[in-house]
Amino acid sequence: MKYDVVIGLEIHVALLTESKFLCSCSTAFGAPPNTQCCPVCLGLPGSLPVVNEKAVEYAVKAGLALNCQVHTFSRFDRKNYFYPDLPKAYQITQDTYPLCTDGFLEYYIDDELRCTAITRLHLEEEAGKLIHSGSSIVDSEYSLVDYNRAGIPLIEIVTAPDITSPRQARLFLEQLRLVMRYIGVSDVKMEEGSLRCDANISLKPQGSPVLGTKVEIKNLNSFRALERALEYEVKRQSAVLERGGKIKQESRTWDERAGRTLSMRSKGDAPDYRYFPEPDLPPLQLDPAWVNCLKDTLPELPLARLRRLEESYGLSRYEATFLVNYPDFGDLFLELAKAGEDNTALVNLLMGDYARLAREQGHLAPGRIAELLRIVAEGLITHNQSKAVLEELFRSPLSPREIVRDKGWEVLRDAEQLRAMVQEALAANPDIVSRYRAGEERLWGYLVGQVMRAAAGKADPKVVNELLKEELARG
Amino acid sequence: MRELAELLQTGQVSSTELVIACLEQIKQTDGVINAFLTVDEQGALEQAAQSDARRARGEALSPWDGIPVAIKDNISTRGLRTTCASRILRNYHPVYDATVVERLKQAGLPILGKTNLDEFAMGSSTEYSAFGVTKNPHDPARVAGGSSGGSAAAVAAGQVPWALGTDTGGSIRQPSSFCGVVGLKPTYGRVSRYGVVALAPSLDQVGPLAKTVEEAAALFSLIAGEDPRDATSAGAPAFQVPRWNAAVVQGLRVGVPEEFFSSGLNAEVEAAVRRSLRTLEEQGAVLKPISLATNDYAIDTYLTLVTAEASSCLARFDGVRYGERVAAPDANTMFAKTRGAGFGAEVKRRIMLGTYVLSASHYEAYYEQAQRVRTLIKLEIARAFEQVDVIITPTTPSTAFRIGEKRNPLEMYLSDLYTATANLSGICALSLPCGYDSQGLPIGLQIMGDHYQEELVFQVGRVVEASVERGPKVEV
Amino acid sequence: MIGREEVIRMATLARLELSEEEIELYTRDLNSFLVSGKKLQQVDVSGITGTSHAVSVIHALRRDEVGESLPREAVLAEGPEVLDGYFKVPRIVEGQE
Ligand SMILES: [Mg+2]
Ligand SMILES: [Zn+2]
Repeated sequence: MKYDVVIGLEIHVALLTESKFLCSCSTAFGAPPNTQCCPVCLGLPGSLPVVNEKAVEYAVKAGLALNCQVHTFSRFDRKNYFYPDLPKAYQITQDTYPLCTDGFLEYYIDDELRCTAITRLHLEEEAGKLIHSGSSIVDSEYSLVDYNRAGIPLIEIVTAPDITSPRQARLFLEQLRLVMRYIGVSDVKMEEGSLRCDANISLKPQGSPVLGTKVEIKNLNSFRALERALEYEVKRQSAVLERGGKIKQESRTWDERAGRTLSMRSKGDAPDYRYFPEPDLPPLQLDPAWVNCLKDTLPELPLARLRRLEESYGLSRYEATFLVNYPDFGDLFLELAKAGEDNTALVNLLMGDYARLAREQGHLAPGRIAELLRIVAEGLITHNQSKAVLEELFRSPLSPREIVRDKGWEVLRDAEQLRAMVQEALAANPDIVSRYRAGEERLWGYLVGQVMRAAAGKADPKVVNELLKEELARG
Repeated sequence: MRELAELLQTGQVSSTELVIACLEQIKQTDGVINAFLTVDEQGALEQAAQSDARRARGEALSPWDGIPVAIKDNISTRGLRTTCASRILRNYHPVYDATVVERLKQAGLPILGKTNLDEFAMGSSTEYSAFGVTKNPHDPARVAGGSSGGSAAAVAAGQVPWALGTDTGGSIRQPSSFCGVVGLKPTYGRVSRYGVVALAPSLDQVGPLAKTVEEAAALFSLIAGEDPRDATSAGAPAFQVPRWNAAVVQGLRVGVPEEFFSSGLNAEVEAAVRRSLRTLEEQGAVLKPISLATNDYAIDTYLTLVTAEASSCLARFDGVRYGERVAAPDANTMFAKTRGAGFGAEVKRRIMLGTYVLSASHYEAYYEQAQRVRTLIKLEIARAFEQVDVIITPTTPSTAFRIGEKRNPLEMYLSDLYTATANLSGICALSLPCGYDSQGLPIGLQIMGDHYQEELVFQVGRVVEASVERGPKVEV
Repeated sequence: MIGREEVIRMATLARLELSEEEIELYTRDLNSFLVSGKKLQQVDVSGITGTSHAVSVIHALRRDEVGESLPREAVLAEGPEVLDGYFKVPRIVEGQE
């Protein structure tokens, strides 16, 4: 039988505030354990939370960027459960009245535009970090708790179950990460845990309106893990169904090394979180004018930029996607393009050797890049030579023109000088010359190459071509 | 306290002498009363010496600099054991001061010690303390009331001039009434709860207990006002001791809710309260019979909300970061054993009830229903304050009962019958003595005022107080 | 009627180890509490929204500024068991929520 795949994602994004969500401890990553803690984030008896306004601002921005309805009234709730990393034995989150609902995110799968609905986006606090004595939680004698992370602001984003393939799930998440990065609310690093994703997946007979039993997959630490785990689940679940078996509603964890999902705990006994309104925090009441203001401060988002690069700058999807996915390159491109540089030459430069060098050493000042493009366009150096100048630009503080002058890399255009080289080349290769004359036209390139080599690559190819033609014609 | 403040000001008495007198009184009486869980003799003497030094330099931090104070043991005091009268916290030393404690220290008040309470403030008699019952100084066979029984008894027994308590459903007013002292439950949010171990955060408030209205007002002035660490205190005004003016009662509209004078009210209590009402009337107040019919639901509503919030607030006592731990091979068993051994019977009862009313299948029928009834109670109170300026009732249906008399928990919960409404609606309420019954036990009268009307409530309280004949009292 | 099973479920949710006598006691207490709950359920609250906060407060947010954290000794001082700067807990077994 054929199956439809139904996937929904639950994403947690750590917000890039200076201080924690409900107290003033630092959020900096990598401090020694339990050094960024206070009575509030340790849940000491009597301590009280106070909401960080920046966290609210960032969550609203995220909601707006995901086309959500931002509610001017929202409320905090307690989610009660016991776990050693949860200092108060409840998490402050938003359940009944979330900050944002009903959004969507558009993204491309190849050339096809897809849209995934965002059910809700709400604010909540992060838990602490557990370090297990063994290789995993299961085979550990004891665990150690570090509360530095406890209380960092998170937004939880829940999608509708309308993703239909593992690859689509991955592309959605990549787009979501890009959006968060564009609006600057998070550094969205999966490896540091500032972007986390759980996936719900179920299978149903093709075309059936009835949803199958869903399985939750946790511990997805990379985009690749998300896609692979979902692929594995599709295979596993279809095999179970093919055998006439039933899918168990459960949580499974992704085992990266073994390349498979493992059952964590049965969801048959669904946890009872006993949500109720958080009495320590007044409801969140936002000024609609402030929300509108934030809307105006949103930068251009990835999809809009992609379209603009294609439509207004004539870039290919491939080029535009590169510039969108690496926003620093995109910004550089737009700045230089605005200054009148040639779009094609520019994007070729940025996507070529420049990309490699800039990733290693950081970007060049836009002015120096512009000058490099200009001296190529002017013909001061050849296209070939621009590569060498570029490498030099990353090493030296000099301007492109200064580098060219210093190194003596100006294009050789002097006809007399070049004619001598052409004649020399012809004289040194009588064979080739006679074969060319006999009709082997492809040998032209070889002859040009010989001249260029004699000129150490600096010869103006146009002049070389003309001279070569003349000399050969002369017989 | 004006006398004490004046004596300190003029140098007739020193803070050190005051603290020594208090310590002496505690030594003599607390063997019987058991008002204190921790007496910080050394700390109090050091703070007193500093106060005396400040006075000598003419740098007193406030008019009350040097007057010792006692703190209910569910309020965090840095480095000073804070047990909440629970086994689970018997060796807990907070690393920070509650905002109210910080403010008292900033005013120069030496902290004498920590007073007894029902475990985690759950109770109305201080019988549910893990560290013994507090006895009523007027009759040691009787309870001091609760949950701030230790603070009320300490003030009544002259062990300390004044004290802080907390009030979630009557826990300042009821013991004040039983012990014959003055106690205020401030408007919700007017005093910071930061550092106060929560029972039910939507109801809890810290307030003063003292011998007189004026003293209670003075202590309140030191703790009232917004605290950036407590979001529910946002916008709360500070408080200054007013100029006392008996004329406030002229034309004052006093609401007298019939429901608070119905069956179940002890006749002697009723007589004393009515006598005070008549006195007010004679001085120009207008008595208005009003109806607070929703009070019939107050206890049930209160019980549902308190247990729910408490079950969540007490979940943090899991043996991981502080408090006692009972060892076990895995975390969940450790949690259950720690909590099973660390909490007393009443605390477990309320956690069980609270867990039940919040659980998914009962939330709507119990918790949400109670929240909605709470709205009705709030609305009725708001309507009442459109017609009257204050509402006067007995504080409790009876005077102090005997230790061990109330065995049934539901019967115990009824102690808060007249007081829970103020917490549910967030208004302020003052309890002060208005006489004694035939057994010599104090009778309490409650003055409720609208949100932030503490000044009016104190003014009226002072007029009532002046009209009441004083019983025998113990002086420091 | 609340049965023994339900009481045990509540105790598990609340992480309270109860003795046999306690289970009996709280089964009785929960049932007598139901009377109180039933009484509230008689009240007509149609069209009424619940009160979750006694006094309505609007702007109660804080600025995003880093303040002082506690020194680590203070953080760990009250910990029943600590190791290498961490709080130590026994083995975590999943699936008991
Ligand atoms: Mg969440
Ligand atoms: Zn903190």
